[in-house]
Amino acid sequence: MTLEQLLADTKPALLDIQQRDLTEIEQAKDWQAKYRVLMQLGKKLPAIPEKMKQPELLVKGCESRAWLMHYHDKTTDKHYFVLDSEARIVKGLMAIMLCLVNGMTTAELCQFDLCHKFDQLNLKPYLSQSRGNGLTAMVNRIKHCCG
Amino acid sequence: MPTFDVQQFRQQFAFFQQQPEWVYLDNAATMHKPQAVIDAVTQFYQQYNSNVHRGAHQLSQRATTLFEQARSTVASYINAQHSHEVIFCSGATAALNQIAFGLMHTVLQPGDRILLTQLEHHANIVPWQLHCQRFGVIIDVVPLTPEHQLDMEAYQQLLQLKPKVVSFSHVSNVLGHIQPVADMVTLAKVAGAITVIDGAQGIVHQQPDMQQLDCDFYVFSGHKLYGPTGIGVLYGKTEQLARLTPIFAGGEMIDSVSFINTTFNKLPFRLEAGTPNIAGAIGLSAAIKWLQKYNNQQIVNHKSLLLKEFYNGLTAIKAIDILSSSVHNAGIVALNVDSEHPADVAELLNQQQIAVRSGQHCAMPLFSYLARPGAIRCSFAAYNTLDDVNRCLLALEQAVEILTA
Ligand SMILES: Cc1ncc(COP(=O)(O)O)c(C=O)c1O
Repeated sequence: MTLEQLLADTKPALLDIQQRDLTEIEQAKDWQAKYRVLMQLGKKLPAIPEKMKQPELLVKGCESRAWLMHYHDKTTDKHYFVLDSEARIVKGLMAIMLCLVNGMTTAELCQFDLCHKFDQLNLKPYLSQSRGNGLTAMVNRIKHCCG
Repeated sequence: MPTFDVQQFRQQFAFFQQQPEWVYLDNAATMHKPQAVIDAVTQFYQQYNSNVHRGAHQLSQRATTLFEQARSTVASYINAQHSHEVIFCSGATAALNQIAFGLMHTVLQPGDRILLTQLEHHANIVPWQLHCQRFGVIIDVVPLTPEHQLDMEAYQQLLQLKPKVVSFSHVSNVLGHIQPVADMVTLAKVAGAITVIDGAQGIVHQQPDMQQLDCDFYVFSGHKLYGPTGIGVLYGKTEQLARLTPIFAGGEMIDSVSFINTTFNKLPFRLEAGTPNIAGAIGLSAAIKWLQKYNNQQIVNHKSLLLKEFYNGLTAIKAIDILSSSVHNAGIVALNVDSEHPADVAELLNQQQIAVRSGQHCAMPLFSYLARPGAIRCSFAAYNTLDDVNRCLLALEQAVEILTA
């Protein structure tokens, strides 16, 4: 497995999530339904193989461990990411975030406001600083990539 | 003696009236406070607020009296021989830091050994590590048996290495297991070691008797005994406290100061530099006085009943991996759902308003021994009810269903 392959596998998964799952989450009739979808999202993203999980990819500040890989296409100035987490709900939430940021340019990434987008999906409570799920840490890491 | 009335007990916690929809099973992290404690703290600020041990005025004298009465209340609760053997500090962490720092050089010399256990909270590991590294003191660790109990045979063998200090928890904050502290102290004494007990989780389970237990130090935090946060107790025998180098220096703890020579105040003040947490001490004392209105054995029985129901219910749920033993357990159950990450389980419980903790609970060495990424921890207190137990079980079932769907 290479970063290229992981990036290639991530792309259609994100498209699928964007086209189908996001509306399902928005329209979920109860929390159980929402969580069932959330947990499926993580499964759609490829897993980063154990031996590729180098310590520098680990995103700190999470109750569960998460990893982020980054690729910057210098010709188009677009940023692409691959991520993984031990915890399924966290991975699902991170998948949603990735849908929103994958392929953004440096300028777009710097301006990106996850809070606003998560609010629309009724997912804002998952972003608060005090929560140990590491989503905020992941967002910070992604923003760091453009700086 | 009337039987323990959990509803009457629970009613004294305003929190449960404010948050009736929550099932609170995170008591090992911190407990709720009865009205008696909230009132005592409020009353102090409203009526008596003054600094202690220094004012020329009557207000300060009254605050000092209340503060020193609080010390006596704690001392008699744990049956310390003297009031001055109770040192107020900010909590178990501060107390353990004071002990680890304070014994270096005065007791512990380069090349000496100390003995800890595999299941200690980081607060009973890291302060020792920090100072032991600087002073060249060696740390040995008591391993666990396959049943996750302390290996007492290994303990006795390690004592033959003649550690100068042995420090262990009364109750494991992850597993809930009550350690055989009386035997451990006796054995350590035969080996000539100073004994330190981390009572952070033990204090609420059992009223410890310092003279009977005969340990050299015992520490705990007020907030895990129905008291306020920011107040804790470092108990030590007079002759052992005298050997501690103060970790904090400043006002209150000195006898005379000059740039040539500073001499220190007597106990307990020598180890209480600066303005203490006066309201906290008064709140802790109120918690103890309030708790003493109840029969501890009845409370223990009530918690045993909750635990029994919980274990019974757990066995009926598929795919549950229970890390805690149900015997000699102070009311803490660490568990996982097979092959699921504890963070997912905890989040699904959170959605159902069941408050538990997940992760490694400041006990990473224990989890590396257990070879698990963490666990969720359900910890019960006397104000929990059978209804709480059942709601938690139902919520766990629901979580398992969603996770394994
Ligand atoms: C066994 C044990 N020791 C020490 C501590 C530290 O207590 P505190 O954070 O109140 O200082 C805790 C708290 O979780 C504990 O459970």
